[in-house]
Amino acid sequence: MAIKIVTDSVADLPAELAQQLDITVVPCNVVLGDISYKDGVDLGPDELFRRMAAGPGLPTTSQPSVADFQAVYQELTAQGDSIVSIHPSAKLSGTFNSAQQARNSLGDADIHVIDSGMASIVEGLVVLSAAQLATESDSAEEVASQIQGDLSKTHGFFLLDTLEYLQKGGRIGKAQAFLGGVLSVKPILGLHDGEVHPIERPRSRQRGIRRLRELASQMAPVKQLAVIYSTEAQEAEDLKQGFSDLLSGDHIVTARFGSALGVYVGPNAIGVALTQA
Amino acid sequence: MTAITGDDIMGAFTTGARYLELYRESINALNVFPVPDGDTGTNMLLTMRSALERCSQDGYTSAGEAIGDLADGAFWGARGNGGVILSQFLKGFADGSASLDSYEGPDLGRALAGAQTAAYSAVGQPVEGTMLTVIRSLAEHVQERLQETPGSDSRGLWQSAFAAGRDALARTPDMLPVLREAGVVDAGGMGILVIWGGALCHLVGMEDEELKAVLDIGYVPNVETGRDEMDSAFLEAIEEVEWGYCTQFVISGEGLSPDGIRQHLSESYQSAVIIGNDRNVRVHLHALDPGPPLSYGASVGQLSHIEIQNMTEQNVDFVSGHRETRPASKLAVVAVAAGDGLARLFRETGCAAVVSGGQTMNPSVAELVEAVEAANAHETILLPNNKNIVISAEQARDRIPNLHVVPTTTVPQGVAALLAFNPEGSLESNLSSMEQAMGEVVTIEVTRAVRDSIIGGVDVEEGQMIGLVDGDLTIASESPEETLRLSLEAAGISSDMVVTLYLGEEGGQDDAEALVSELEARVAGVQVDLVYGGQPHYHYLASIE
Repeated sequence: MAIKIVTDSVADLPAELAQQLDITVVPCNVVLGDISYKDGVDLGPDELFRRMAAGPGLPTTSQPSVADFQAVYQELTAQGDSIVSIHPSAKLSGTFNSAQQARNSLGDADIHVIDSGMASIVEGLVVLSAAQLATESDSAEEVASQIQGDLSKTHGFFLLDTLEYLQKGGRIGKAQAFLGGVLSVKPILGLHDGEVHPIERPRSRQRGIRRLRELASQMAPVKQLAVIYSTEAQEAEDLKQGFSDLLSGDHIVTARFGSALGVYVGPNAIGVALTQA
Repeated sequence: MTAITGDDIMGAFTTGARYLELYRESINALNVFPVPDGDTGTNMLLTMRSALERCSQDGYTSAGEAIGDLADGAFWGARGNGGVILSQFLKGFADGSASLDSYEGPDLGRALAGAQTAAYSAVGQPVEGTMLTVIRSLAEHVQERLQETPGSDSRGLWQSAFAAGRDALARTPDMLPVLREAGVVDAGGMGILVIWGGALCHLVGMEDEELKAVLDIGYVPNVETGRDEMDSAFLEAIEEVEWGYCTQFVISGEGLSPDGIRQHLSESYQSAVIIGNDRNVRVHLHALDPGPPLSYGASVGQLSHIEIQNMTEQNVDFVSGHRETRPASKLAVVAVAAGDGLARLFRETGCAAVVSGGQTMNPSVAELVEAVEAANAHETILLPNNKNIVISAEQARDRIPNLHVVPTTTVPQGVAALLAFNPEGSLESNLSSMEQAMGEVVTIEVTRAVRDSIIGGVDVEEGQMIGLVDGDLTIASESPEETLRLSLEAAGISSDMVVTLYLGEEGGQDDAEALVSELEARVAGVQVDLVYGGQPHYHYLASIE
């Protein structure tokens, strides 16, 4: 009897980390042209951005089906395990809904489905701490409630090159306030209350990255930290170096936006996620 | 595409109900007709739930049977005007397709025709611009398509009917004056469209987000504020009206006549919707006193499922709900700017209003007050963007409450302050970050000297171009570009800076672009943005930050 952690590809967890911590990642679907791909399984970010640049027409995404979750839940619970299943904000994606329906269909199996109110590696950090807790606890319910209690300490800031993809994909939320405008700005958005919010509008990328660092530092002390990028690995590495005073480098997670989120953040996106101590 | 089977019908209406759940509150918020009591979404949802609860968990081989069970469940659980019409819609749909295993295109046409007839016949006095109109548009659209293309398949018809339904819903404010006054589309119509669209997601695999985008038509945006909200005059008008009781019950007996009961009740009561058969008749009506209709019902047969709601109380909640959740905006910025490009820039960057004015064209205090009032926010921040206008802005501040001035003296300062504005932040944090931001930019103004002079040690001839750095005359030269270039040099630009050039109405785009290339070539890493400002008087405005 163990507690198994399930999440989805929107959490943008590095594959090796997920594997190492025995986290099951259910892939979302990305539809390019008229073909549906499994995020992270048969479509990665490089190919996605290449295809996006080649155009025309933006890819779309859809949540894993109820059946996808049923299959995973059944396999894990068949061995007598309990499940804590953590998913992106229900305001941004239907994944939580699919997972919940799957749980409801499985009678009294011990499955706890959590709306992280987040997405991307911000959700990923929640998943990582759940995986840690799962090794220390023998009650999935306890893990779930502790995770839920900690959600308000988890934050994310993202610097995007453009809000175009977020808008076209219908995920712009409150960041609508930063849409349009004649001036070139590199908007910084935040994730809280399950939605995307406007934070700042720096005029240049360089300043935006500096502001990301400052925004994260203002949250110190932190117990978890991650940097994430869509296309510029070196920038993410530099950003990570700049955080050495917050958390030692080998504890900072470097992640990459998967193809599902890549559809919305676009190329040149970079961000930071953290959990306050 | 394949015909719609019994299981498809169940999946479709289950998904429709899920969407109804999602949209319940937004539909409630739209509910102004026949009574502004804010419960249409809830009523339709409860009706749909009752419909689904009646159905078998083992799936359906027959589509007609599935819809028949849905209709039956809806009849017993129908609530409110919208719910009763919805149940009648399902009933008509079922009667139009009894004993069918699956729906091909023409079957869908017959089912919808049945649904339309049944929905209209349930209502004492049918009114257009309501959910009846949306139901009719679905039915008529499918009839027309089938006449053009008899072989149309049912899923494709469902999809194109959805588009027709949406158009009909968008037109409801033109058909029913109370909707126009409130600035909304019909709530029940929205409910039907949400169910139909949710069903479509199941039937053709339409994306959630796509549906949500299509359904984003609840409000007619307020002409003055551009916002989606209920008209405040309308809210005032519906307050303190005696709305009476929403009275609902089922009469059971033998040899009942729904038509006779409808005729009798709709003579004396508003919003009478009567449905059923010779054994069970559901009554929905609005009465100032619920007693007499109940007595009448009891004289005809046995009463059950009695439900009475005080609509005056519901209306009070509805009005206060709209006042709380949709107030005028919390915080807005108003700016002063001259030139079409700059006005557009300020507006698109987030100003609620832009007052025309600038150097030598100071707006009056009254004009500033008017713009601030038009912005319709609890707190307003005014950006004067000119030294002379700061004084008028401060006078405006003394005249109306909740106006705050961030004393920007140049357009670039105003732009920097506006970019630091976050509509979700508090007034205090915004004022502080906007004031800080305005102090972090250097402004350069390039204009023509109006007389000979020596200022700050610079010799100036009338007609020469002059460059001012943060208000100090620094350069006099022949061409605007040369003056700008020398001014930028004097102010100092380095690699990590952002330079923004605002081209005036007299400036030349080509000359400006040449200058941008030159700057970028000379200072590696600098970011130079060229924006059309269209401002009079200044050939160029520029910011360095």
